[in-house]
Amino acid sequence: MGNNWMRRQRMLGYLFIGPNMIGVILFFVIPAVYSFFLMFTDYKFMSPDVHMVGLDNVKRLFHDEIFYKAIQNTLVFLLAVPASIFLSFLVALVLNQSVYIKSTLRALFFMPYITSGVAIAFVWMLLFQPKEGPINAFLRMIGIEHPPGWLSTTDTSMYAIDIIWVWFMLGYNMIIYLAALQEISTDLLEAAKMDGARGWRVIRHIVWPLVSPTTFLLLITGLIMTIKTFGIIQAITQGGPGNSTTILSLFVYQNAFRYYEMGYAATISWALFFIILLITVVQWIGQKRWVHY
Amino acid sequence: MTVTKTLVTFIMLILGILMVVPFLWMISTSFKTPAEVFEYPIRWIPSTLQWDHHIKVWTGDKSFGTYYLNSLKISIISTIGATFLSAFAAYGFSRIEFKGRNAMFLVYISMMMVPPQVLFVPKFIMFEWAGIYNTHWALILPGMFTIFGVFMLRQFFLSVPHEISEAAFIDGAGHLRIFFNLVLPLAKPALATLAIIDFSWHWNDYENALVFLIDEKLYTVPLGLQNFILENNVDYNGMMAAATAGIIPMIIVFLIGQRFIIQGISSAAVKG
Repeated sequence: MGNNWMRRQRMLGYLFIGPNMIGVILFFVIPAVYSFFLMFTDYKFMSPDVHMVGLDNVKRLFHDEIFYKAIQNTLVFLLAVPASIFLSFLVALVLNQSVYIKSTLRALFFMPYITSGVAIAFVWMLLFQPKEGPINAFLRMIGIEHPPGWLSTTDTSMYAIDIIWVWFMLGYNMIIYLAALQEISTDLLEAAKMDGARGWRVIRHIVWPLVSPTTFLLLITGLIMTIKTFGIIQAITQGGPGNSTTILSLFVYQNAFRYYEMGYAATISWALFFIILLITVVQWIGQKRWVHY
Repeated sequence: MTVTKTLVTFIMLILGILMVVPFLWMISTSFKTPAEVFEYPIRWIPSTLQWDHHIKVWTGDKSFGTYYLNSLKISIISTIGATFLSAFAAYGFSRIEFKGRNAMFLVYISMMMVPPQVLFVPKFIMFEWAGIYNTHWALILPGMFTIFGVFMLRQFFLSVPHEISEAAFIDGAGHLRIFFNLVLPLAKPALATLAIIDFSWHWNDYENALVFLIDEKLYTVPLGLQNFILENNVDYNGMMAAATAGIIPMIIVFLIGQRFIIQGISSAAVKG
Protein backbone atom coordinates (compact mmCIF):
# COMPACT_ATOMS: atom_id res chain seq x y z
CA MET A 1 0.00 0.00 0.00
CA GLY A 2 2.34 2.72 -1.20
CA ASN A 3 1.97 6.32 -2.21
CA ASN A 4 0.70 5.27 -5.56
CA TRP A 5 -2.24 3.45 -4.04
CA MET A 6 -3.11 6.42 -1.86
CA ARG A 7 -2.99 8.78 -4.80
CA ARG A 8 -5.23 6.45 -6.76
CA GLN A 9 -7.70 6.34 -3.90
CA ARG A 10 -7.76 10.11 -3.75
CA MET A 11 -8.35 10.46 -7.48
CA LEU A 12 -11.18 7.95 -7.22
CA GLY A 13 -12.61 9.88 -4.28
CA TYR A 14 -12.60 13.09 -6.31
CA LEU A 15 -14.14 11.27 -9.24
CA PHE A 16 -17.10 10.20 -7.11
CA ILE A 17 -17.56 13.35 -5.07
CA GLY A 18 -16.49 15.75 -7.81
CA PRO A 19 -19.70 16.08 -9.85
CA ASN A 20 -21.77 16.81 -6.76
CA MET A 21 -19.05 18.99 -5.25
CA ILE A 22 -19.02 21.23 -8.34
CA GLY A 23 -22.71 21.92 -7.84
CA VAL A 24 -22.32 22.49 -4.13
CA ILE A 25 -19.53 24.97 -4.79
CA LEU A 26 -21.46 26.71 -7.58
CA PHE A 27 -24.83 26.92 -5.85
CA PHE A 28 -23.91 27.01 -2.17
CA VAL A 29 -20.31 28.01 -1.44
CA ILE A 30 -19.79 30.78 -4.01
CA PRO A 31 -23.19 32.42 -3.37
CA ALA A 32 -22.51 32.27 0.38
CA VAL A 33 -19.16 34.04 -0.04
CA TYR A 34 -20.67 36.48 -2.52
CA SER A 35 -23.48 37.26 -0.12
CA PHE A 36 -20.98 38.01 2.61
CA PHE A 37 -19.38 40.55 0.31
CA LEU A 38 -22.75 42.09 -0.63
CA MET A 39 -23.38 42.78 3.03
CA PHE A 40 -20.87 45.64 2.80
CA THR A 41 -22.35 47.18 -0.34
CA ASP A 42 -25.38 49.28 -1.23
CA TYR A 43 -26.25 47.05 -4.18
CA LYS A 44 -29.74 47.66 -5.48
CA PHE A 45 -31.66 45.80 -8.14
CA MET A 46 -29.99 46.16 -11.55
CA SER A 47 -28.23 49.32 -10.53
CA PRO A 48 -24.81 49.68 -12.16
CA ASP A 49 -23.12 51.72 -9.46
CA VAL A 50 -22.37 49.77 -6.37
CA HIS A 51 -20.49 51.26 -3.47
CA MET A 52 -18.76 49.75 -0.55
CA VAL A 53 -20.54 51.13 2.47
CA GLY A 54 -18.66 49.36 5.22
CA LEU A 55 -20.84 48.58 8.16
CA ASP A 56 -23.67 50.93 7.21
CA ASN A 57 -26.06 48.05 6.57
CA VAL A 58 -25.29 46.56 9.95
CA LYS A 59 -25.87 49.91 11.67
CA ARG A 60 -29.10 50.36 9.77
CA LEU A 61 -30.20 46.90 10.83
CA PHE A 62 -29.71 47.67 14.51
CA HIS A 63 -31.86 50.78 14.14
CA ASP A 64 -34.56 49.07 12.14
CA GLU A 65 -37.72 48.62 14.20
CA ILE A 66 -39.08 46.04 11.78
CA PHE A 67 -35.97 43.94 12.37
CA TYR A 68 -36.78 43.72 16.07
CA LYS A 69 -40.41 43.04 15.30
CA ALA A 70 -39.29 40.30 12.90
CA ILE A 71 -37.14 38.69 15.59
CA GLN A 72 -40.08 38.75 17.96
CA ASN A 73 -42.38 37.25 15.33
CA THR A 74 -39.80 34.59 14.51
CA LEU A 75 -39.65 33.59 18.17
CA VAL A 76 -43.44 33.27 18.29
CA PHE A 77 -43.30 31.23 15.09
CA LEU A 78 -40.70 28.92 16.65
CA LEU A 79 -43.08 28.13 19.53
CA ALA A 80 -44.84 25.84 17.08
CA VAL A 81 -41.83 23.50 17.07
CA PRO A 82 -41.86 22.32 20.72
CA ALA A 83 -45.66 22.35 20.65
CA SER A 84 -45.84 20.01 17.68
CA ILE A 85 -43.04 17.84 19.08
CA PHE A 86 -44.91 17.35 22.34
CA LEU A 87 -48.22 16.58 20.64
CA SER A 88 -46.59 14.22 18.18
CA PHE A 89 -44.93 12.36 21.04
CA LEU A 90 -48.33 11.74 22.58
CA VAL A 91 -49.80 10.60 19.26
CA ALA A 92 -46.82 8.32 18.61
CA LEU A 93 -47.16 6.78 22.09
CA VAL A 94 -50.76 5.86 21.41
CA LEU A 95 -50.13 4.65 17.88
CA ASN A 96 -47.28 2.50 19.15
CA GLN A 97 -49.77 0.66 21.37
CA SER A 98 -52.09 -1.88 19.93
CA VAL A 99 -54.55 -0.17 17.61
CA TYR A 100 -56.29 -1.37 14.50
CA ILE A 101 -55.59 0.12 11.04
CA LYS A 102 -52.22 1.41 12.22
CA SER A 103 -50.89 2.34 8.79
CA THR A 104 -54.08 4.16 7.81
CA LEU A 105 -53.89 6.21 11.00
CA ARG A 106 -50.22 6.96 10.37
CA ALA A 107 -51.01 8.11 6.84
CA LEU A 108 -53.83 10.38 8.06
CA PHE A 109 -51.53 12.19 10.47
CA PHE A 110 -48.72 12.40 7.93
CA MET A 111 -50.82 13.75 5.05
CA PRO A 112 -50.38 17.49 5.78
CA TYR A 113 -46.61 17.19 5.59
CA ILE A 114 -46.51 15.81 2.06
CA THR A 115 -48.98 18.34 0.70
CA SER A 116 -46.96 21.27 1.93
CA GLY A 117 -47.41 24.25 -0.28
CA VAL A 118 -49.36 27.31 -1.04
CA ALA A 119 -52.50 25.26 -1.50
CA ILE A 120 -52.86 24.53 2.21
CA ALA A 121 -52.11 28.18 2.97
CA PHE A 122 -55.17 29.24 1.01
CA VAL A 123 -57.35 26.56 2.54
CA TRP A 124 -56.45 27.75 6.04
CA MET A 125 -57.01 31.34 5.02
CA LEU A 126 -60.65 30.50 4.37
CA LEU A 127 -61.00 28.25 7.40
CA PHE A 128 -59.74 31.11 9.59
CA GLN A 129 -62.00 33.71 7.97
CA PRO A 130 -63.08 35.78 11.00
CA LYS A 131 -66.69 36.56 10.10
CA GLU A 132 -67.98 33.50 8.31
CA GLY A 133 -65.17 30.95 8.46
CA PRO A 134 -66.04 27.47 9.73
CA ILE A 135 -63.60 27.67 12.67
CA ASN A 136 -65.23 30.78 14.12
CA ALA A 137 -68.68 29.47 13.26
CA PHE A 138 -67.86 26.45 15.39
CA LEU A 139 -66.50 28.60 18.22
CA ARG A 140 -69.67 30.70 18.22
CA MET A 141 -71.75 27.55 18.32
CA ILE A 142 -70.01 26.35 21.48
CA GLY A 143 -70.72 29.72 23.11
CA ILE A 144 -67.67 31.87 22.38
CA GLU A 145 -69.33 35.13 21.36
CA HIS A 146 -66.23 36.97 20.22
CA PRO A 147 -63.91 34.44 18.62
CA PRO A 148 -60.41 35.60 17.63
CA GLY A 149 -59.79 37.44 14.37
CA TRP A 150 -57.03 34.93 13.56
CA LEU A 151 -55.07 36.06 10.51
CA SER A 152 -56.86 39.40 10.31
CA THR A 153 -55.76 41.01 13.57
CA THR A 154 -52.22 41.94 14.53
CA ASP A 155 -52.21 40.28 17.95
CA THR A 156 -53.51 36.89 16.79
CA SER A 157 -52.07 36.48 13.28
CA MET A 158 -48.77 34.92 14.34
CA TYR A 159 -50.55 32.42 16.58
CA ALA A 160 -52.88 31.45 13.77
CA ILE A 161 -49.81 30.65 11.69
CA ASP A 162 -48.45 28.65 14.64
CA ILE A 163 -51.58 26.50 14.58
CA ILE A 164 -51.11 25.82 10.87
CA TRP A 165 -47.47 25.01 11.46
CA VAL A 166 -48.15 22.61 14.35
CA TRP A 167 -50.66 20.83 12.14
CA PHE A 168 -48.14 20.70 9.31
CA MET A 169 -45.19 19.34 11.36
CA LEU A 170 -47.12 16.90 13.53
CA GLY A 171 -47.03 13.93 11.16
CA TYR A 172 -43.34 14.23 10.40
CA ASN A 173 -42.39 14.35 14.09
CA MET A 174 -44.76 11.49 14.84
CA ILE A 175 -43.16 9.22 12.21
CA ILE A 176 -39.73 9.79 13.69
CA TYR A 177 -40.97 9.22 17.25
CA LEU A 178 -42.63 5.99 16.15
CA ALA A 179 -39.33 4.74 14.75
CA ALA A 180 -37.57 5.67 17.99
CA LEU A 181 -40.23 4.00 20.14
CA GLN A 182 -39.85 0.79 18.19
CA GLU A 183 -36.17 0.66 19.11
CA ILE A 184 -36.87 0.66 22.84
CA SER A 185 -36.30 -2.86 24.13
CA THR A 186 -39.35 -4.49 25.61
CA ASP A 187 -37.18 -5.97 28.41
CA LEU A 188 -36.71 -2.54 29.89
CA LEU A 189 -40.43 -1.90 29.94
CA GLU A 190 -41.10 -5.35 31.41
CA ALA A 191 -38.58 -4.69 34.16
CA ALA A 192 -40.25 -1.40 34.98
CA LYS A 193 -43.59 -3.15 35.18
CA MET A 194 -42.14 -5.72 37.59
CA ASP A 195 -40.97 -2.88 39.79
CA GLY A 196 -44.53 -1.66 39.91
CA ALA A 197 -44.18 1.32 37.59
CA ARG A 198 -47.37 2.01 35.65
CA GLY A 199 -48.76 4.27 32.98
CA TRP A 200 -47.61 7.84 33.18
CA ARG A 201 -44.63 7.07 35.40
CA VAL A 202 -43.18 4.66 32.84
CA ILE A 203 -43.59 7.28 30.16
CA ARG A 204 -42.16 10.06 32.27
CA HIS A 205 -39.16 8.20 33.72
CA ILE A 206 -38.33 5.57 31.13
CA VAL A 207 -39.77 6.24 27.68
CA TRP A 208 -39.25 10.02 27.58
CA PRO A 209 -35.56 9.84 28.63
CA LEU A 210 -34.96 6.99 26.20
CA VAL A 211 -36.28 8.97 23.26
CA SER A 212 -34.51 12.16 24.32
CA PRO A 213 -31.92 11.93 21.51
CA THR A 214 -34.85 11.88 19.08
CA THR A 215 -36.47 14.83 20.81
CA PHE A 216 -33.18 16.66 20.55
CA LEU A 217 -32.85 15.88 16.86
CA LEU A 218 -36.44 16.95 16.17
CA LEU A 219 -35.97 20.15 18.11
CA ILE A 220 -32.76 21.14 16.39
CA THR A 221 -33.84 20.24 12.84
CA GLY A 222 -37.35 21.59 13.44
CA LEU A 223 -36.10 24.95 14.66
CA ILE A 224 -33.67 25.28 11.76
CA MET A 225 -36.25 24.28 9.18
CA THR A 226 -38.91 26.56 10.65
CA ILE A 227 -36.68 29.59 10.87
CA LYS A 228 -35.86 29.28 7.15
CA THR A 229 -39.47 28.95 6.02
CA PHE A 230 -41.39 31.88 4.63
CA GLY A 231 -43.40 30.60 1.69
CA ILE A 232 -46.49 29.74 3.67
CA ILE A 233 -46.54 33.19 5.31
CA GLN A 234 -45.78 34.98 2.06
CA ALA A 235 -48.71 33.17 0.49
CA ILE A 236 -51.25 33.87 3.24
CA THR A 237 -50.44 37.26 4.73
CA GLN A 238 -47.35 38.69 2.98
CA GLY A 239 -46.20 39.64 6.46
CA GLY A 240 -49.36 41.51 7.40
CA PRO A 241 -51.53 42.79 8.89
CA GLY A 242 -49.11 45.59 9.71
CA ASN A 243 -45.87 43.75 10.18
CA SER A 244 -47.42 41.25 12.53
CA THR A 245 -46.32 38.17 10.59
CA THR A 246 -43.09 39.50 9.11
CA ILE A 247 -40.63 36.89 10.27
CA LEU A 248 -36.90 37.26 9.59
CA SER A 249 -36.77 35.00 6.54
CA LEU A 250 -39.69 36.85 4.97
CA PHE A 251 -38.07 40.16 5.86
CA VAL A 252 -35.01 39.16 3.83
CA TYR A 253 -37.16 38.21 0.86
CA GLN A 254 -39.17 41.44 1.01
CA ASN A 255 -36.09 43.64 1.17
CA ALA A 256 -34.44 41.85 -1.71
CA PHE A 257 -37.32 41.28 -4.08
CA ARG A 258 -39.95 43.81 -3.11
CA TYR A 259 -37.81 46.84 -2.19
CA TYR A 260 -34.76 45.69 -4.20
CA GLU A 261 -32.45 46.59 -1.31
CA MET A 262 -30.17 43.68 -2.01
CA GLY A 263 -27.17 44.71 0.04
CA TYR A 264 -29.38 45.28 3.05
CA ALA A 265 -31.18 41.98 2.43
CA ALA A 266 -27.82 40.18 2.41
CA THR A 267 -27.07 41.75 5.80
CA ILE A 268 -30.37 40.56 7.28
CA SER A 269 -29.80 37.11 5.84
CA TRP A 270 -26.51 36.87 7.72
CA ALA A 271 -28.26 37.97 10.89
CA LEU A 272 -30.61 35.06 10.23
CA PHE A 273 -27.63 32.74 9.81
CA PHE A 274 -26.15 33.86 13.12
CA ILE A 275 -29.43 33.25 14.89
CA ILE A 276 -29.51 29.72 13.45
CA LEU A 277 -25.92 29.21 14.57
CA LEU A 278 -26.77 30.53 18.04
CA ILE A 279 -29.76 28.20 18.38
CA THR A 280 -27.64 25.25 17.28
CA VAL A 281 -24.79 26.06 19.68
CA VAL A 282 -27.09 26.71 22.64
CA GLN A 283 -28.85 23.42 21.95
CA TRP A 284 -25.59 21.49 21.76
CA ILE A 285 -24.51 22.89 25.09
CA GLY A 286 -27.90 22.47 26.66
CA GLN A 287 -28.41 18.89 25.49
CA LYS A 288 -26.09 17.44 28.15
CA ARG A 289 -28.66 18.33 30.78
CA TRP A 290 -31.52 16.39 29.31
CA VAL A 291 -30.42 14.13 26.48
CA HIS A 292 -29.53 10.60 27.52
CA TYR A 293 -27.53 8.54 25.06
CA MET B 1 -58.31 -5.76 25.73
CA THR B 2 -60.16 -5.69 22.42
CA VAL B 3 -62.56 -3.16 23.89
CA THR B 4 -59.72 -0.78 24.77
CA LYS B 5 -58.09 -1.45 21.44
CA THR B 6 -61.29 -0.59 19.58
CA LEU B 7 -61.86 2.49 21.71
CA VAL B 8 -58.31 3.78 21.23
CA THR B 9 -58.51 3.11 17.50
CA PHE B 10 -61.78 5.01 17.36
CA ILE B 11 -60.37 8.04 19.21
CA MET B 12 -57.25 8.08 17.05
CA LEU B 13 -59.37 7.78 13.93
CA ILE B 14 -61.35 10.86 14.95
CA LEU B 15 -58.11 12.78 15.57
CA GLY B 16 -56.68 11.53 12.27
CA ILE B 17 -59.76 12.64 10.38
CA LEU B 18 -59.50 16.03 12.09
CA MET B 19 -55.99 16.27 10.60
CA VAL B 20 -57.32 15.86 7.07
CA VAL B 21 -60.49 17.92 7.57
CA PRO B 22 -58.94 20.95 5.83
CA PHE B 23 -58.48 18.81 2.71
CA LEU B 24 -61.99 17.40 2.90
CA TRP B 25 -63.37 20.90 3.33
CA MET B 26 -61.28 22.09 0.39
CA ILE B 27 -62.53 19.37 -1.95
CA SER B 28 -66.12 19.72 -0.80
CA THR B 29 -66.03 23.53 -1.18
CA SER B 30 -64.69 23.24 -4.71
CA PHE B 31 -67.98 21.57 -5.69
CA LYS B 32 -70.32 23.96 -3.85
CA THR B 33 -72.24 27.01 -4.95
CA PRO B 34 -70.94 30.35 -3.57
CA ALA B 35 -73.86 30.50 -1.16
CA GLU B 36 -72.95 27.17 0.38
CA VAL B 37 -69.28 27.96 1.13
CA PHE B 38 -69.73 29.29 4.64
CA GLU B 39 -72.98 27.57 5.49
CA TYR B 40 -72.89 26.34 9.07
CA PRO B 41 -73.20 23.53 10.15
CA ILE B 42 -70.79 22.72 7.34
CA ARG B 43 -72.43 21.24 4.28
CA TRP B 44 -70.02 18.42 3.47
CA ILE B 45 -71.94 17.09 0.50
CA PRO B 46 -72.96 19.92 -1.84
CA SER B 47 -76.62 19.92 -2.92
CA THR B 48 -75.55 19.62 -6.56
CA LEU B 49 -71.98 19.08 -7.73
CA GLN B 50 -70.67 22.26 -9.34
CA TRP B 51 -68.07 21.25 -11.92
CA ASP B 52 -67.67 24.72 -13.41
CA HIS B 53 -65.07 25.80 -10.81
CA HIS B 54 -62.83 22.93 -11.85
CA ILE B 55 -63.47 23.66 -15.50
CA LYS B 56 -62.44 27.27 -14.90
CA VAL B 57 -59.16 26.09 -13.35
CA TRP B 58 -58.29 23.74 -16.18
CA THR B 59 -59.38 25.78 -19.19
CA GLY B 60 -59.01 29.38 -20.24
CA ASP B 61 -55.79 31.26 -20.88
CA LYS B 62 -54.40 30.46 -17.43
CA SER B 63 -54.84 26.75 -17.52
CA PHE B 64 -53.31 24.55 -14.86
CA GLY B 65 -52.18 22.28 -17.69
CA THR B 66 -49.25 24.58 -18.44
CA TYR B 67 -48.30 24.81 -14.78
CA TYR B 68 -48.46 21.03 -14.48
CA LEU B 69 -46.18 20.51 -17.47
CA ASN B 70 -43.69 23.06 -16.13
CA SER B 71 -43.71 21.49 -12.67
CA LEU B 72 -43.39 17.99 -14.07
CA LYS B 73 -40.45 18.95 -16.26
CA ILE B 74 -38.60 20.70 -13.44
CA SER B 75 -39.38 18.07 -10.82
CA ILE B 76 -38.54 15.05 -12.96
CA ILE B 77 -35.24 16.34 -14.35
CA SER B 78 -34.11 17.68 -10.95
CA THR B 79 -35.06 14.50 -9.15
CA ILE B 80 -33.25 12.18 -11.57
CA GLY B 81 -30.16 14.38 -11.46
CA ALA B 82 -30.22 14.80 -7.70
CA THR B 83 -30.70 11.10 -7.00
CA PHE B 84 -27.86 10.05 -9.25
CA LEU B 85 -25.42 12.78 -8.21
CA SER B 86 -26.17 12.18 -4.53
CA ALA B 87 -25.56 8.46 -4.89
CA PHE B 88 -22.23 9.10 -6.57
CA ALA B 89 -21.05 11.52 -3.88
CA ALA B 90 -22.44 9.40 -1.07
CA TYR B 91 -20.40 6.46 -2.31
CA GLY B 92 -17.27 8.60 -2.28
CA PHE B 93 -18.01 9.83 1.23
CA SER B 94 -18.75 6.40 2.63
CA ARG B 95 -16.75 3.73 0.84
CA ILE B 96 -13.51 5.26 -0.41
CA GLU B 97 -10.93 6.38 2.11
CA PHE B 98 -8.74 9.27 1.07
CA LYS B 99 -7.12 12.36 2.49
CA GLY B 100 -9.32 15.44 2.65
CA ARG B 101 -12.57 13.51 2.67
CA ASN B 102 -13.60 14.57 6.15
CA ALA B 103 -12.77 18.21 5.47
CA MET B 104 -15.00 18.09 2.39
CA PHE B 105 -17.77 16.51 4.39
CA LEU B 106 -17.48 19.32 6.92
CA VAL B 107 -18.10 21.84 4.13
CA TYR B 108 -21.28 19.94 3.28
CA ILE B 109 -22.46 19.97 6.89
CA SER B 110 -21.80 23.67 7.30
CA MET B 111 -23.69 24.46 4.09
CA MET B 112 -26.79 22.87 5.59
CA MET B 113 -26.88 25.61 8.21
CA VAL B 114 -26.81 28.43 5.68
CA PRO B 115 -30.39 29.58 5.16
CA PRO B 116 -31.59 29.78 1.55
CA GLN B 117 -32.22 33.48 2.11
CA VAL B 118 -28.46 34.06 2.29
CA LEU B 119 -28.13 32.53 -1.17
CA PHE B 120 -31.11 34.17 -2.89
CA VAL B 121 -29.55 37.51 -3.77
CA PRO B 122 -26.18 36.21 -5.00
CA LYS B 123 -27.90 33.41 -6.91
CA PHE B 124 -30.19 35.96 -8.48
CA ILE B 125 -27.16 38.00 -9.62
CA MET B 126 -25.27 34.93 -10.83
CA PHE B 127 -28.26 33.56 -12.77
CA GLU B 128 -28.89 36.96 -14.30
CA TRP B 129 -25.27 37.07 -15.42
CA ALA B 130 -25.33 33.49 -16.75
CA GLY B 131 -28.58 34.16 -18.58
CA ILE B 132 -30.61 31.51 -16.81
CA TYR B 133 -32.65 33.83 -14.60
CA ASN B 134 -36.33 33.49 -15.48
CA THR B 135 -35.78 30.14 -17.20
CA HIS B 136 -36.50 26.68 -15.85
CA TRP B 137 -32.76 26.07 -15.59
CA ALA B 138 -32.66 28.44 -12.63
CA LEU B 139 -34.65 25.81 -10.74
CA ILE B 140 -33.40 22.63 -12.40
CA LEU B 141 -29.64 23.17 -12.12
CA PRO B 142 -29.48 23.99 -8.38
CA GLY B 143 -32.19 21.40 -7.81
CA MET B 144 -29.85 18.64 -8.96
CA PHE B 145 -27.68 19.15 -5.89
CA THR B 146 -29.13 18.14 -2.58
CA ILE B 147 -26.99 17.94 0.52
CA PHE B 148 -29.73 16.04 2.34
CA GLY B 149 -29.61 13.40 -0.40
CA VAL B 150 -25.88 12.89 0.06
CA PHE B 151 -26.40 12.51 3.81
CA MET B 152 -29.22 10.07 3.49
CA LEU B 153 -27.52 7.80 0.96
CA ARG B 154 -24.18 8.00 2.77
CA GLN B 155 -25.98 6.68 5.81
CA PHE B 156 -27.34 3.83 3.77
CA PHE B 157 -24.04 2.99 2.05
CA LEU B 158 -22.27 2.88 5.41
CA SER B 159 -24.61 0.07 6.40
CA VAL B 160 -23.72 -2.09 3.37
CA PRO B 161 -21.19 -4.68 4.62
CA HIS B 162 -17.60 -4.16 3.53
CA GLU B 163 -17.16 -7.85 2.81
CA ILE B 164 -19.22 -7.39 -0.32
CA SER B 165 -16.77 -4.95 -1.86
CA GLU B 166 -13.75 -6.86 -0.55
CA ALA B 167 -14.85 -9.99 -2.38
CA ALA B 168 -15.28 -7.96 -5.55
CA PHE B 169 -11.88 -6.31 -5.11
CA ILE B 170 -10.27 -9.72 -4.99
CA ASP B 171 -12.06 -10.59 -8.21
CA GLY B 172 -10.42 -7.54 -9.73
CA ALA B 173 -13.36 -5.13 -9.77
CA GLY B 174 -12.72 -1.43 -9.19
CA HIS B 175 -14.82 1.13 -7.34
CA LEU B 176 -16.79 2.08 -10.44
CA ARG B 177 -17.78 -1.54 -11.09
CA ILE B 178 -18.67 -2.05 -7.43
CA PHE B 179 -20.73 1.13 -7.40
CA PHE B 180 -22.74 0.31 -10.50
CA ASN B 181 -23.02 -3.46 -10.18
CA LEU B 182 -23.18 -4.05 -6.43
CA VAL B 183 -23.98 -1.05 -4.28
CA LEU B 184 -26.44 0.73 -6.55
CA PRO B 185 -28.72 -2.31 -7.05
CA LEU B 186 -28.65 -2.92 -3.29
CA ALA B 187 -29.60 0.68 -2.68
CA LYS B 188 -32.75 0.59 -4.82
CA PRO B 189 -35.16 1.13 -1.89
CA ALA B 190 -33.04 3.99 -0.53
CA LEU B 191 -32.84 5.55 -4.00
CA ALA B 192 -36.60 5.25 -4.43
CA THR B 193 -37.14 6.92 -1.07
CA LEU B 194 -34.84 9.79 -1.90
CA ALA B 195 -36.42 10.19 -5.32
CA ILE B 196 -39.93 10.40 -3.86
CA ILE B 197 -38.96 12.85 -1.11
CA ASP B 198 -36.97 14.93 -3.56
CA PHE B 199 -39.80 14.95 -6.08
CA SER B 200 -42.21 16.21 -3.46
CA TRP B 201 -39.82 19.03 -2.54
CA HIS B 202 -39.51 20.14 -6.13
CA TRP B 203 -43.21 19.84 -6.74
CA ASN B 204 -44.03 21.90 -3.65
CA ASP B 205 -41.18 24.38 -4.02
CA TYR B 206 -42.72 27.82 -3.96
CA GLU B 207 -39.88 29.97 -2.64
CA ASN B 208 -37.34 29.35 -5.42
CA ALA B 209 -39.96 29.68 -8.13
CA LEU B 210 -41.10 32.94 -6.54
CA VAL B 211 -37.59 34.36 -6.66
CA PHE B 212 -36.35 33.05 -10.00
CA LEU B 213 -39.37 32.99 -12.33
CA ILE B 214 -41.29 36.03 -13.57
CA ASP B 215 -42.71 34.89 -16.87
CA GLU B 216 -46.21 33.54 -16.38
CA LYS B 217 -45.71 30.92 -19.07
CA LEU B 218 -42.92 29.42 -16.96
CA TYR B 219 -44.90 29.26 -13.73
CA THR B 220 -44.97 26.06 -11.72
CA VAL B 221 -48.05 24.76 -9.92
CA PRO B 222 -47.48 26.67 -6.63
CA LEU B 223 -46.91 29.95 -8.48
CA GLY B 224 -49.80 29.30 -10.84
CA LEU B 225 -51.98 28.61 -7.85
CA GLN B 226 -50.98 31.86 -6.21
CA ASN B 227 -51.58 33.69 -9.45
CA PHE B 228 -55.02 32.16 -9.85
CA ILE B 229 -55.98 33.00 -6.30
CA LEU B 230 -54.79 36.60 -6.49
CA GLU B 231 -56.92 37.10 -9.58
CA ASN B 232 -59.98 35.31 -8.23
CA ASN B 233 -59.81 36.34 -4.60
CA VAL B 234 -63.55 36.61 -4.17
CA ASP B 235 -64.31 33.34 -5.89
CA TYR B 236 -63.86 30.99 -2.94
CA ASN B 237 -65.09 27.95 -4.84
CA GLY B 238 -62.63 28.62 -7.64
CA MET B 239 -59.85 29.08 -5.09
CA MET B 240 -60.58 25.71 -3.56
CA ALA B 241 -60.81 24.05 -6.97
CA ALA B 242 -57.37 25.47 -7.74
CA ALA B 243 -56.01 24.34 -4.37
CA THR B 244 -57.38 20.86 -5.06
CA ALA B 245 -55.59 20.83 -8.40
CA GLY B 246 -52.38 21.84 -6.63
CA ILE B 247 -52.57 19.12 -3.99
CA ILE B 248 -53.98 16.07 -5.78
CA PRO B 249 -50.73 14.95 -7.46
CA MET B 250 -48.89 14.86 -4.15
CA ILE B 251 -51.70 12.92 -2.53
CA ILE B 252 -51.48 10.35 -5.33
CA VAL B 253 -47.69 10.14 -5.03
CA PHE B 254 -48.09 9.77 -1.28
CA LEU B 255 -50.66 7.01 -1.51
CA ILE B 256 -48.45 5.08 -3.93
CA GLY B 257 -45.15 5.65 -2.17
CA GLN B 258 -46.33 5.93 1.43
CA ARG B 259 -44.24 3.02 2.65
CA PHE B 260 -41.05 4.38 1.09
CA ILE B 261 -41.60 7.91 2.30
CA ILE B 262 -42.32 6.94 5.88
CA GLN B 263 -39.51 4.38 6.09
CA GLY B 264 -37.05 6.70 4.43
CA ILE B 265 -37.78 9.64 6.65
CA SER B 266 -37.61 7.62 9.84
CA SER B 267 -34.43 5.74 8.91
CA ALA B 268 -32.64 8.90 7.76
CA ALA B 269 -33.52 10.64 11.00
CA VAL B 270 -33.06 7.93 13.58
CA LYS B 271 -29.93 6.29 12.26
CA GLY B 272 -28.45 9.59 11.11
